[in-house]
Amino acid sequence: MSASVVPPGTQGPDLSLAPEAWLAAHPELSSRLVFRHAAARFAEEDARVVFLEADLGGGGDPFEARHPQRYFNLGICEATMLDMACGLAHVGHTVIAHSFAAFGVMRACEQVRLNLAYARANVKLVCDYGGVAGAFFGPTHHAIEDLAVLRAMPNLTVVSPADGLETVHATRAMLAYDGPVYLRLGRNRVTRLDGPRPPFELGRAALLREGDDVGLLAHGEVGVSVALDAARLLEAQGLSARVLNVHTLKPLDEEAVRETASRTRLLVTVEEHNVLGGLGSAVCETVCELGLSRRVLRVGLQDRYDAVAGSHEALLRGHGLEGGQVAERILGVLPRTPVFAVGSETRRD
Amino acid sequence: MAPARSPDGGTGAASDAGFTLLPRRARRIRQTILRLAATPAGCHLGGSLSMVEILVALLGRVMRVDPRAPKAPERDHLILSKGHAAAGLYAALAEFGFVDVEALVRGYNADGSIFTGHVNAAVPGVEFATGSLGHGLGLGVGLTLGHRLRGEPNRTFVVCGDGEMGEGSNWEALQVASHRKLTALTLIIDRNGGQNDGPTEAILSQESLVPRLDAFGFQALEVDGHDLPALCAALEAPVVGDRPRAIVARTRKGAGVPMLKGKGPHYAVFSPEHLRRALASLGEDGS
Repeated sequence: MSASVVPPGTQGPDLSLAPEAWLAAHPELSSRLVFRHAAARFAEEDARVVFLEADLGGGGDPFEARHPQRYFNLGICEATMLDMACGLAHVGHTVIAHSFAAFGVMRACEQVRLNLAYARANVKLVCDYGGVAGAFFGPTHHAIEDLAVLRAMPNLTVVSPADGLETVHATRAMLAYDGPVYLRLGRNRVTRLDGPRPPFELGRAALLREGDDVGLLAHGEVGVSVALDAARLLEAQGLSARVLNVHTLKPLDEEAVRETASRTRLLVTVEEHNVLGGLGSAVCETVCELGLSRRVLRVGLQDRYDAVAGSHEALLRGHGLEGGQVAERILGVLPRTPVFAVGSETRRD
Repeated sequence: MAPARSPDGGTGAASDAGFTLLPRRARRIRQTILRLAATPAGCHLGGSLSMVEILVALLGRVMRVDPRAPKAPERDHLILSKGHAAAGLYAALAEFGFVDVEALVRGYNADGSIFTGHVNAAVPGVEFATGSLGHGLGLGVGLTLGHRLRGEPNRTFVVCGDGEMGEGSNWEALQVASHRKLTALTLIIDRNGGQNDGPTEAILSQESLVPRLDAFGFQALEVDGHDLPALCAALEAPVVGDRPRAIVARTRKGAGVPMLKGKGPHYAVFSPEHLRRALASLGEDGS
């Protein structure tokens, strides 16, 4: 690389010191590209970080540009990439391995199980194309089961960030954490949530909005955005919604689930994942285990493969994953509000 | 003690140039394997016995390892990808002082013990848990690349089964290893001709391993896997050029135990009488 070429993403605000300003200067970047810039930036501070790719880097990767000696595009071999990741971690590297969720999680599933989870390897499996973000590429490129599979693996931390800023925070946190992590991203959607949020902490759900009629628990770009949209629409109908961003699916923040159940009358999970096995299942498990006596609506992908072309948004609508659809569904099932509860003091805007 | 490589590149076993000690080690390892076959759980006997000389050559002469410091940063790495042959690896680790042989025989498959029927990473001297086939080579490629990145000379030796080469992930890893010119990596294939359900040639032929490995960019050769001097010579020859090395070691399931001649069961649970006869029939020279 000639000295005159400035690595991408390095001009202007510093991603590490001022992530909000950096994101504001790069309004066009999807979370999966934000992740690549964040990984490249954080690797400046840690020489142990290496990046493995299995021919899905897309070219022009900022990590490759800034750390060519630590970036390995191995070719189309997800299984070997993840076995190698464990080998690299064994001698002290912090390994990022990237693929699409369908391939990194499910084609190479046993490598994840044995050589990330069982081995407790310091490997960060980062996959984009989570859910149906691959849209018209079809179900071969969708991942609607990845969280169900990985949530059942001991030792693994499973994270699904909601927007660009949370992707920066999650990338920093997973690199600082010594152990195997799955980071799930979307595709080309650009999400910048506004409003205050608590500091990011792995395993600690983030309360985005307080309310006492319905508790919305969501993860990921689609899930959290849809939950917030639904909350705004419900508010116009006189219902207040608590919105919890459960960015870490494993370990699950059970206390946050319990608190949300105790403060609201209906729980609703919202996620771009099959309704079987993801956050919806995790919340149901906790609600039953703790005897919380709350109905749980699971909004998510409806246990089917979408062998149809179309936009990401069109596919999501087909599964009821749109703010208006979620609000309608909630209005249809929410237990009648006791008169004395209207105007609860916990409502806040 | 297993020899540590001295600074001049020689080995602690160099004084054993006549290979008098190593066959005795092989014989003792076979005794331990037979004892493990006589525990209630039994063991993967044929494939444990077939690789004894391979492990003796590696742990007893070729590799830089120290049983007192099994995680020493400067060690060479052994990965038994054919992790079902755990009894053979554990017995070899006992012979070379990594684990106590009586603790092994007592603990093998005992409640709460680290000695599981497929290789457990908790056992001193083991780098990775194995047993699901087709992972060891990829792990070894990662180890080797990691050391090269750090400018470290550690070498990695991966032992695969011949039946195991049916796993596609091996051929992925071979491509990456040769493309990356990982000459600190050595693959040894225990070519014992058998797999779980029968002879490899009846199930999935592996007769063309050497030309296939050569075509995948490895420097491949075949040796008699029970001939310790030949194995050591193949493993110790300097790497020429930039191709990683692959050694196809021709072996026999059940090798070294005359009672098993021509049989070499993949898995066996011995009765005390079996054990007595098998131990009595052990060849002096491990052949």
